[in-house]
Amino acid sequence: MPIMLKIENLSVSVGEADETSEILKGLSLEVPAGEVHAIMGPNGAGKSTLSYVLTGRPGYDVTGGSAALDGEDVLDMDPEERAAKGMFLSFQYPVEIPGVPVMTFVRTAMNAQRKLRGEDEISAPDFIKMSRDVAKKLDLSPDMLKRPVNVGFSGGEKKRLEIYQMMMLESRFLILDETDSGLDIDALRVVAEGVNTMRSPERGMLVITHYQRLLDYIKPDKVHVLAKGRIIKSGGPELAHRLEEEGYDGVMAEAI
Amino acid sequence: MTALRDLIKNPTAAELELVARYAMLPEDARRERAFTAFAETGLPHRRMEAWKWTDFKAALTAVESPKGESAADPLVDGADLVFRFTPNGLSYPDKLPDGLRMLAKPDAEAFGAAEDLPLGAMTAALSGHKKSPGTLVFEVTDSVAERLHFVFDGAGEANFGRCVFVVREGASLKLSESYLGGAGLTSSLFEFDLKDGASLNRTIYQRGGKDEAVAVTAVISLDKEAEFTQTTLAFGAKVSRLETRVTHRAEGAKAILNAAYLSGLDFHSDITTHVRHGAPRCTTQQVTKGAVMDGGKGIFQGKFMVPRNVGQHTDADMQHHALLLEEGAEVFAKPELEIYADDVECAHGNTCGALDDSALFYMRQRGLPEAEARALLTEAFVAEAFAETDDLESVLREEAAKWLGV
Repeated sequence: MPIMLKIENLSVSVGEADETSEILKGLSLEVPAGEVHAIMGPNGAGKSTLSYVLTGRPGYDVTGGSAALDGEDVLDMDPEERAAKGMFLSFQYPVEIPGVPVMTFVRTAMNAQRKLRGEDEISAPDFIKMSRDVAKKLDLSPDMLKRPVNVGFSGGEKKRLEIYQMMMLESRFLILDETDSGLDIDALRVVAEGVNTMRSPERGMLVITHYQRLLDYIKPDKVHVLAKGRIIKSGGPELAHRLEEEGYDGVMAEAI
Repeated sequence: MTALRDLIKNPTAAELELVARYAMLPEDARRERAFTAFAETGLPHRRMEAWKWTDFKAALTAVESPKGESAADPLVDGADLVFRFTPNGLSYPDKLPDGLRMLAKPDAEAFGAAEDLPLGAMTAALSGHKKSPGTLVFEVTDSVAERLHFVFDGAGEANFGRCVFVVREGASLKLSESYLGGAGLTSSLFEFDLKDGASLNRTIYQRGGKDEAVAVTAVISLDKEAEFTQTTLAFGAKVSRLETRVTHRAEGAKAILNAAYLSGLDFHSDITTHVRHGAPRCTTQQVTKGAVMDGGKGIFQGKFMVPRNVGQHTDADMQHHALLLEEGAEVFAKPELEIYADDVECAHGNTCGALDDSALFYMRQRGLPEAEARALLTEAFVAEAFAETDDLESVLREEAAKWLGV
């Protein structure tokens, strides 16, 4: 399979002139199309920074290295360009958008992406049909889709709404940032089933998580340990179990 | 008798022109009283506390025709009865529905408060022409289903208009006003007297040129359980003041005063309200939203006055929230709650800031270009002020969206 996401020696810092701190320190990672890779790591390792840098959140300063999607460097692109290329971030803390109903928002986003790619807009009936199908899979009521994005949603509803958007936008490279946080077992199962239906030979996924629990539902092809701004160890799914048993300290000591 | 030209102390060129206009109008004792009230201050200016951010005297250097033309009117569609004020006269329908009577008068007695407001007094004195009436007086005796629409447009130096409404017990009316610019000075005075259980829903749409002055003044008095609802969308002008004064005169009256202002480069938009809770158990809800671009100016002055003896059990909420869309945008806000009664619920909130960065990034991550994300967030933000219109919400929202370039 061709490499879909290729990160080489990526260094990133945050902060103003004299008070910068380096969060990522020469991180390298490859995710081939069709695979699901998990990134695990202790608090403060730089997991969320990685997801934000890949999707273009302002405020992060790339000081070295590169990140390419399908061989194209994405680090100079605007966030919306990266989205149109197929990059999707499921936020750890989905943001409230007061006054903008879910359906309006997703349809606007979908058409904006299509426009950037030079495609036709989706028709209203097609959109509504698609939305109905996706919402059903995720157990989202039609009423929820009329409410403003994430406003008044419970933690579980917010995460399901992220997956709804991911499925509606049919994104090609998915980054899930701590998608399991704030979910009970039932919600976790619904979310994971949604994600699993997205697995396909053309799609790549990066699942960022603190705990092994999510990986019982979304089985990764590879597991990477992110600590101190780098990938310090990579392995198969069994690595996640080892981390759960031995803790990060044990695995980190061995790697360093 | 004082010579006319000496009525105003050290008059400016514009004030002299206003005096000359007054001199051309037929003599009338009530008109004279109004003009004398106006002459006490002349055009209001920044050394008057209520006008410190809106210096009408400095902005209105002369009463002359502006360069631009009137804007299009988004509210005329669906209006059943159209009343049009232009610099050259006014027109109105010759047939009115049941429950509504209209008198076209040379002038009518102002409700006291209008004369305390300099531009209210000016408008009372100067509305009308040699051949057309100065004031339209309406009496509403039933629930009128038709929407009355008042348009101020047309090219010329000045456009004055005055309307007085008496809404009888239990009657109701909805009306809209469009100020579309075209005159160097546009000034209206609307007076509403709502009797017991009466209700009125008013929507105001205001646009004006960068060389125009606009004043929209309203005085409202509410009797027992009367309900007054007002929604404003203002785009400002060289100088623009939309002032609303409400008096709760008897128990259980209710006022909703919502407004949104959108100010671009060189536009000035002032929303000023004053509510007196002159009776127990009255309610006022106010939401004002603003969005201002570089070089634009927005002003909000709100006051709730709750006197000790009569204002018990007042329930009032004043919210003003503004977005500074760009560097160089200016917003001035003075929310005031003056409460002397001890058993009341009065809340207020006042904020001014930029769009939420995390919301912007979230939207861009989903594929919305930054400009579109900003516009959509801003539109949703101001549209909160449109929730209480009588089915004009989507029209106002669309006008805001157009301005934002959604």
